[in-house]
Amino acid sequence: MRNFRKGAVLAATAAVTLALAACSDSSSPDPSGGGNGTPEGNTLTVWAWDPAFNIAALNAAADIYKQDHPDFTIDIVETPWDDLQTKLTTIAQSQAYDELPDIFLMQNNAFQKNVINYPDLFSDFSGSDVDYSEFPAGVTGYSTVDGANFGVPFDNGTAIDALRTDILTEAGYTVDDFTDITWNDYMTKAKDVLAKTGQPMLSGQAGSSDMVMMMLQSAGASLFDADGNPTIANNDALTKASEVYTQMVKDGTFLEVNSWDEYIGTLVNGNVAGTINGVWIVGSIQSAEDQSGKWGMTNLPSLDGVSGATNYSANGGSSWAVSSTADVALAQDFLNETFAGSAEFYDTILPSTGALANWMPAGDSEIYSQPQDFWGGDAIFSKVVGFAGQVPANNTGVYYYEARDAVSAALTEIVNGADPATAFQKAQETVEFAMQ
Amino acid sequence: MSKVTPGSVIDRALRETASEPERKPKMSAMARRRSLTGWAFIAPAAVLIFAMNFWPMIQAFILSFKTGRGNKLTLAEPLWYNYERLLHDDIFKQTLLTTLLYLIVQVPIMLGLAMVLANMLNSPSLRFRGMWRTAIFLPVATSLVSYAIVFRTMFGTDGFINDLLTKLHIIDDPVNWLGQTNTARGVIVLGLLWRWTGFNMILYLAALQNIAPGTHEAAKLDGAGPIRTFWSVTMPQMRPIILLTVIISTNGTIQLFDESYNLTAGGPAYTSMTMSHYLYEVSFHRNPNFGYGAAMSYVILLLVAIFAAIQVRLGDKRD
Repeated sequence: MRNFRKGAVLAATAAVTLALAACSDSSSPDPSGGGNGTPEGNTLTVWAWDPAFNIAALNAAADIYKQDHPDFTIDIVETPWDDLQTKLTTIAQSQAYDELPDIFLMQNNAFQKNVINYPDLFSDFSGSDVDYSEFPAGVTGYSTVDGANFGVPFDNGTAIDALRTDILTEAGYTVDDFTDITWNDYMTKAKDVLAKTGQPMLSGQAGSSDMVMMMLQSAGASLFDADGNPTIANNDALTKASEVYTQMVKDGTFLEVNSWDEYIGTLVNGNVAGTINGVWIVGSIQSAEDQSGKWGMTNLPSLDGVSGATNYSANGGSSWAVSSTADVALAQDFLNETFAGSAEFYDTILPSTGALANWMPAGDSEIYSQPQDFWGGDAIFSKVVGFAGQVPANNTGVYYYEARDAVSAALTEIVNGADPATAFQKAQETVEFAMQ
Repeated sequence: MSKVTPGSVIDRALRETASEPERKPKMSAMARRRSLTGWAFIAPAAVLIFAMNFWPMIQAFILSFKTGRGNKLTLAEPLWYNYERLLHDDIFKQTLLTTLLYLIVQVPIMLGLAMVLANMLNSPSLRFRGMWRTAIFLPVATSLVSYAIVFRTMFGTDGFINDLLTKLHIIDDPVNWLGQTNTARGVIVLGLLWRWTGFNMILYLAALQNIAPGTHEAAKLDGAGPIRTFWSVTMPQMRPIILLTVIISTNGTIQLFDESYNLTAGGPAYTSMTMSHYLYEVSFHRNPNFGYGAAMSYVILLLVAIFAAIQVRLGDKRD
């Protein structure tokens, strides 16, 4: 009995000690001083999300950096964007900064929000050699907060209208018929294409506002005014864009699907006659090798009757951030010598991934003007560089995602028959509520 | 329905079955030593539960009185600001109604189905009983995320269900199951039924096998038919386990997260989103507002507590 009791007391003490140890603040400094996986000082851990795109680009960048730094290794952790955002929030909230990688990729639209909410996650680039004058101001603006740069811009989100030339020919159209046109014109032709070939013109995720946001930006409009107040209600461009969208869904010329995979499926399985998205969609389109030579590319339709309407827009785009616990010198040097300083690097990744550089010197490369067989021998990349210069600026701010979500919900309601003015008024109130 | 804590019910059952002898006014040395031994056994678990569960709950309660973005939190003014805010939050009200709808529709169907299945599988004349039991219980062993993703794929516009129904000429055009409010909610309920009916069935089956065969024989001798026997002999003896499953299911449904997040992503337009999913959105996906999220979690706790209390009062007929 006595021994048994001793044992029990011992077990209790052990458990209490354990529990206390688990709760105690692990504030002791990390002896290695760096982020994950940097004990030798030549490994970088990176979070990025797309194996066909930004991860492929990272691998290419690592190969180029290795030429001068033979010991360098890169450890890429594939992390979908939603998970990446959740992880960052969790780390920042629990202040477990040693869980951060050295470098992580961030959506341009989310950059301001994260830097402003959690400045402790980031290292700024003031001590680096990155020459920001070599990037367009509109693009570095996404990752600049109070005059300090927190990111190296990666891909360009310039929007393109990609078209299946074989299907258009069947309906009696060419790519030129879709160049420099308006949405009214586009919708009429889309109906004709549907009638003659049975193919819808576009596809997209139901409940996603991507399409409408591209239309909105093409007219130089956004969801916030210069002071950061939401401008969702009574927004002419937004109302017009939602009209176009709902009409196309009703006509059957815009096929709504439920997931991103289904959307990509409509492209590679040939279920649609085209798509409108950021130029990064090229990587996914080109994964259907049997469709080589059957695609063409042009600019977007413009909104009718909206002042400032253009045929150019953007969707997506991302930038690299260096974490606060990173091997800052190595990480910034890596980014500076590749993403912000190697024409060779951009030449390598462009044809396979469609990662159009924001780094301007890369645009002078010959490879941009080379004809692409997949695109019917068109030099699509110099075309897109031309589009990029004409994209109206976008106003993101801290509450961008709240506004986007609210607009998505409103669109779903409008497609299901709600009154647009009422739905957008409700969305406006939702965003104002979130900002309180 | 991932976190099920039937603790309170079991505690109560234990307390009542292990009825202690009357405590003497003064403990003998032996009794005190025994009591200490008891404490020593309980202490490790108690300390761990306090540190891992109750302490965070207390912290969350304090957090629910704070406001601000990210980790720049300050005490709200007035203190109940976040709770007041909930009353004006249309999306929260929508998620609350949706969650209650899932509860009202799904729990009775699931428990009824589980009861029917349990009785069928308890019948000695059924062949391959082991196989049927395993087949119906197996969904419980699958991961919530993977089953939700399989359901999402099956109910896609180009998914298996649409293919099947088109081939059978039941529908002409594919139905956008997850793109419409009612069908999306229906798919979630269907998923829940598939995933959780087996769990309740096993509990019922165990209870059925504990019913003394003599009571059934007596009913037969008195001339009761199978239906009468079921309602008058089987059901009364099943009452405690039915109460337990009702509480577990209610509890789990109010905290429902995985299906809403993975199967429909809350769409279309928040109409299939549950409270826990909205809580997560507010805390992690949007500008992080953990104070508000914590307030929501306390509302969920309160709801669970109220429902459990009502059910225990209505369903527990023990003296």
